[in-house]
Amino acid sequence: MRTLRFRLNGDDAEIAAPDHWTLLEVLRYRAGLTGSKQGCDKGDCGACTLHVDGKSVLSCITLAADVDDREVTTIEGLVGPGGPDVVQDCFDESGCLQCGFCQPGMIMAARQLVTEDPNADRDTIKAALASNLCRCTGYTKIYEAVENACKRTLAGDTGRGGRLADLGGGGDEARAGRESA
Amino acid sequence: MLRLPAFAYSSPKSLEAVLATLAEQPGRARLIAGGTDLLPNLKHGIEEAGLVVSLKHVPGLDGVEEQSDGSLRLGAMLTLEDLANHDVVRARYPALASAAGQIAGPHHRRMGTLGGNVCLNTRCVYINQTHFWRESLGYCLKKDGSACHVVKRGKRCVAAASNDTAPVLTTLGARLVIASAARGEREIDVGDFYTQDGVFNKDLQPDEMLTHVIVPPPAKGLHSAYGKLRPRDSIDFPRLSVAVAFVLKGGAGTAADPGKVHDLHIVVSALASTPVKLRKVDELAEGRTADETLFEEIAAAAYKQCHPLTSIDGDPAYRRDMVPVYVKRALRDALASGASA
Amino acid sequence: MAGGIERKSINRTHGPDAPHGEFHRVGKRARKVDGIGKATGQAVYADDIQLPGMLHAKTLRSPHPHARIVSIDTSKAEALPGVHGVITGADMPTKYGVIPWTPDENALAVDRVRFVGDEVAAVAAVDEDTANAALRLIEVEYEVLHPYLDPKESLERHDPAIHEGNKKGNISKHVELEFGDVAAALASSAHVIEDDYAFHGTAHAPIEPHCAVAQAGHDGVLTLWSSTQIPHYVHRALAKVLDIEAHRIRVIQPHLGGAFGGKSDPFYFEFCACLLAMRTGRPVKFLLTREETFYTHRGRHPMDMHFKTGCDADGKITAVDSKILIDGGSYSSFGLVTTYYAGQLLCGPCHFPTYRFDSTRVFTNKPPCGPKRGHGSVQPRFALEIQLDRLATKVGLDPIEFRRRNFQGSNVETVNGQTVTSNGFVECLDTIETASGWKDKRGKLPRGRGIGMAGSMYISGTNYAVYPNDMPQAGIVVKLDRSGLAMVYTGTSDIGQGSSSVMATIVAEELGLRMDQVRVVAADTDLTPVDLGAYSSRITLMAGNAAVDASRKLRKQVQEAVGEHLDVPAGRVILADGWAFDAQDGDKRIPSREAFELAESKFETLAAAGSYNTPERGGDYRGGTIGASPAYSFTAHAAEVEVDFETGEIHVEKVWIAHDCGRAISPVQVEGQIEGSTYMGVAEVALEDHAVFDDPAHPEAGLHMRPSLLEYTIPTSVDTPELEAHIIESIDPEGPYGAKEAGEGPLHGSLPAVANAIYDATGVWMTKLPFTPGKVLAALRAHESGTPTGEEA
Repeated sequence: MRTLRFRLNGDDAEIAAPDHWTLLEVLRYRAGLTGSKQGCDKGDCGACTLHVDGKSVLSCITLAADVDDREVTTIEGLVGPGGPDVVQDCFDESGCLQCGFCQPGMIMAARQLVTEDPNADRDTIKAALASNLCRCTGYTKIYEAVENACKRTLAGDTGRGGRLADLGGGGDEARAGRESA
Repeated sequence: MLRLPAFAYSSPKSLEAVLATLAEQPGRARLIAGGTDLLPNLKHGIEEAGLVVSLKHVPGLDGVEEQSDGSLRLGAMLTLEDLANHDVVRARYPALASAAGQIAGPHHRRMGTLGGNVCLNTRCVYINQTHFWRESLGYCLKKDGSACHVVKRGKRCVAAASNDTAPVLTTLGARLVIASAARGEREIDVGDFYTQDGVFNKDLQPDEMLTHVIVPPPAKGLHSAYGKLRPRDSIDFPRLSVAVAFVLKGGAGTAADPGKVHDLHIVVSALASTPVKLRKVDELAEGRTADETLFEEIAAAAYKQCHPLTSIDGDPAYRRDMVPVYVKRALRDALASGASA
Repeated sequence: MAGGIERKSINRTHGPDAPHGEFHRVGKRARKVDGIGKATGQAVYADDIQLPGMLHAKTLRSPHPHARIVSIDTSKAEALPGVHGVITGADMPTKYGVIPWTPDENALAVDRVRFVGDEVAAVAAVDEDTANAALRLIEVEYEVLHPYLDPKESLERHDPAIHEGNKKGNISKHVELEFGDVAAALASSAHVIEDDYAFHGTAHAPIEPHCAVAQAGHDGVLTLWSSTQIPHYVHRALAKVLDIEAHRIRVIQPHLGGAFGGKSDPFYFEFCACLLAMRTGRPVKFLLTREETFYTHRGRHPMDMHFKTGCDADGKITAVDSKILIDGGSYSSFGLVTTYYAGQLLCGPCHFPTYRFDSTRVFTNKPPCGPKRGHGSVQPRFALEIQLDRLATKVGLDPIEFRRRNFQGSNVETVNGQTVTSNGFVECLDTIETASGWKDKRGKLPRGRGIGMAGSMYISGTNYAVYPNDMPQAGIVVKLDRSGLAMVYTGTSDIGQGSSSVMATIVAEELGLRMDQVRVVAADTDLTPVDLGAYSSRITLMAGNAAVDASRKLRKQVQEAVGEHLDVPAGRVILADGWAFDAQDGDKRIPSREAFELAESKFETLAAAGSYNTPERGGDYRGGTIGASPAYSFTAHAAEVEVDFETGEIHVEKVWIAHDCGRAISPVQVEGQIEGSTYMGVAEVALEDHAVFDDPAHPEAGLHMRPSLLEYTIPTSVDTPELEAHIIESIDPEGPYGAKEAGEGPLHGSLPAVANAIYDATGVWMTKLPFTPGKVLAALRAHESGTPTGEEA
């Protein structure tokens, strides 16, 4: 058992865990951050992908002890005060989310790509996501989501609150509906 | 979730401290770099560790240094992603960059290291399984058992070398720097590093650690390439891999006059516990024109020397059929890719 | 009629039209109701549930493919500190099975284990490590029995039988049906193609491993959260096996990480989690490892298929005759249905006047097979569509033209007595022909490159409820709230296919709401009315009709109340986009929230139930309702492939798919289903192979060959062809607004379209899946050397 100290989604975290626990286990079962998923047990599927120092890694084959002093960002950590991140919003908007189980990992992989190469073409996108298995979509709409996230990023759109803005939309009817409430 | 067995963990801040730990607990202390090989193997119970020693905080092991003789000294902790994308590596040793870029998937390459890949455990369909599976089988020679299920009545483990960098490094004549507390540093040709024992196929003592890989300066006119047979274009280990390197002299660099082949090296892997250096192909090719006729002859010679086993998934007869195809394609790729810069 | 009660007709279909003249929600590209929760990690899946004091359970599994259990000693495991419960088969002796006619499973093995990985005992402990340690302390003595690993052997031999007492030996189910005089029709055919085909067996491999959490409340209520796609059948099975009154059991399906048919049986881990929770008084989580999901299986059945198809000189099909051997693995699961589906679901979109099928499912000592997306019919469809292409070649017709010529039409009865209503297959053919550039490609691409096509049909739910009853197949409750919210309570399982979004869309359409004004509670047996589950592509049509039914009752009340308020006839009140307004004067309007208040004031608390049951369908013969559906979807695929003559590798470059789903209630989701289905089908051609070592002489006999996502190679992004989905809307009289299924049909044609494209590329008919590069290479070489092989007749 050791006390792990690292940055977790922007906060200082101190979590006690046995030495042989993976980062995924510590996050899910000790920190209660269950957004990162476990699909294959050993690095074959990518559902557990999250960021250590901004880079996508497979947390089911990362020892929690190995991220001491590092910056860990999970799918939950992408959400800011204004709402979901632009990549999250684009995944939602594209309709590529089916069962959703691979998506936290897929989104973290996409998030790194969009940050590093918002001009990525489709082949680059495919290559960047090639550690993340999706069983529902045939990937097609995922590419569309990532391409849209790239486009919006280049246009300076952070995506924060995109869906809520959508919901609040509906023009004057919605406003009138809210006002009359 | 498939669990790791209990172990202790340490993360020394210096190479000396790492080596001291290995010396104190040889065999019990196991090094972890990227963890992409060790952790699945620990989860499967095919490797054991009382203490896992992390190299994450050891400085000076992830560099690419050009040495005075023109060789490149690559740190063992250099990630496969950085190796694949490194400008100098790409220019001088395109086969090495190519092999590194074809290892597993992008996240594995970001985590995994050159040292880890060079030291990758051998693989076999009968060993890379959970404890339950292996127990149901009755275990095997490589771990916990006495029978080989690949070579019936075989006494030597034939689990296959499955690392992508090893065949390329062998064709390039790379040397490995190995350190220990007791004996200091030693160097060994990568071609001599792997041994005919699938249980542990490396000339590496429990108190030793691979610290650097030294790749000699490319000869003028060096051409190299790497080819990998695998079911998917990502994630998978090789079912067959081929590295070629030769020096091209003379010629106009055209199809009609490509030049003459010298100093040909071909290494085929995912066949046996070591990468297999093809014999006599250098003699066959020396001084001959780099054309399809020659490539066909070399491919035919390769076929005769390679005998895939059922240790790796995929029909062995088919994988053997692919030896000449992949050798030929690697030779063409090497010719087409231009000389090392 | 049970107890002399006459079944009330609840086959309420509602016509294809929009409730208010034009559609406001249906057919629009909208976000899913659960999309952002999934994209942000908020969506809770079974393994995300953590309850105070929760124990963790693990399973002890059989290392033998077939053995008798001589003794089990759990005393050492029970004594291990941290262990709170150990159970074995003796604790739950009642047999069950998803099909009530074939109950041959025990939650844990009783006396006999039937495959490597069969469940023998379960342990609950403070953590997984302790549970695993306890498993190693359980001592089991086995008497090893002869393992059946070849289905042909199971046909011939049954000593010992895999299921003792089975009067049919090792045969699980046999169905033989003939419609018309097949022999005579074949004898008089101008052309007959006869060949053998094989399907190898594949797994669902959803990314989420199965997981269940059980809690035995001290109030006597047992709650199970499980990654199931059939909460209602799990509910019934728990009551039976645990011998608890059903009303004391609550089954909840949290968000589900993919299923594809693999989570549609009641499973051992669900029973074990419950019993361990009851025994220990603590919550129990049962999470499978990836390896264990391959043992749990229920994947697509391996089939050996012999097909004979005839046509006349003009290319009109005269007869189809098939004989199919199905490898069922160790238990029945849905096997009775599979055996019927292997024949019943082929009778469209092409008409054949005579038809015979003879299907036999046998038991073997392998993980049990079951329903995988396109249950039962993907394999014979593969065979049939290759047969049709070969006939077309014989007659000298283009494959698309051949199918046009044999098109069965709309509103027809098939040869096996099924009723086809809408049928957009010809539009599907036209679409893929144009989109793929078929005419410029077929027979005209360079050697090694080819294009092929296939057609298919699939059910939108089946008349055959797995247990006979006169109650609705789908029920739903809609409640309108003074806040302006419509709450939808539906028993449907959203397994990622988007059923909750479809229900929300329908209710929003009917009640004139924005999507944020509708919320869905789904798949909770305490809160939601019964729906039979996410299988047979039944939800959109069946639960969708129930949703329209419930909503229209409420709409009527709201229209009346608003009409009175605005002083216009109720029929003139339009509900749309969060408003209620006069159709003739848009300024006369009030927000929906106020409209709901008016209706609640005028009538009563606003809630309505809706129901759906199927119309009378199916042939008048034993099994005639199996595969009978209110409506059928139709699909055409065109696939372009590149074959590498040196390596035998097939690269599927692009697939064009046109799918007739009736009305596309959510076009984005329909496209997603088309793309996902086709991806999954193409993956079954060459990459995926769920197999066990089958040489009984070797120690590995019966062991799974590839029980991981490294070895069982599902395609990554870089292995997936480009997919181009086209929606064809035939507007069916039976579906809500004319909707039919989209989730399974578009898988079928993927496989034969690739096979037919390989022929176009190489001149070789590949017939035995999987098309591994080695097999393809051997067939190409045999073809070039002029040696006929099994691959090429």
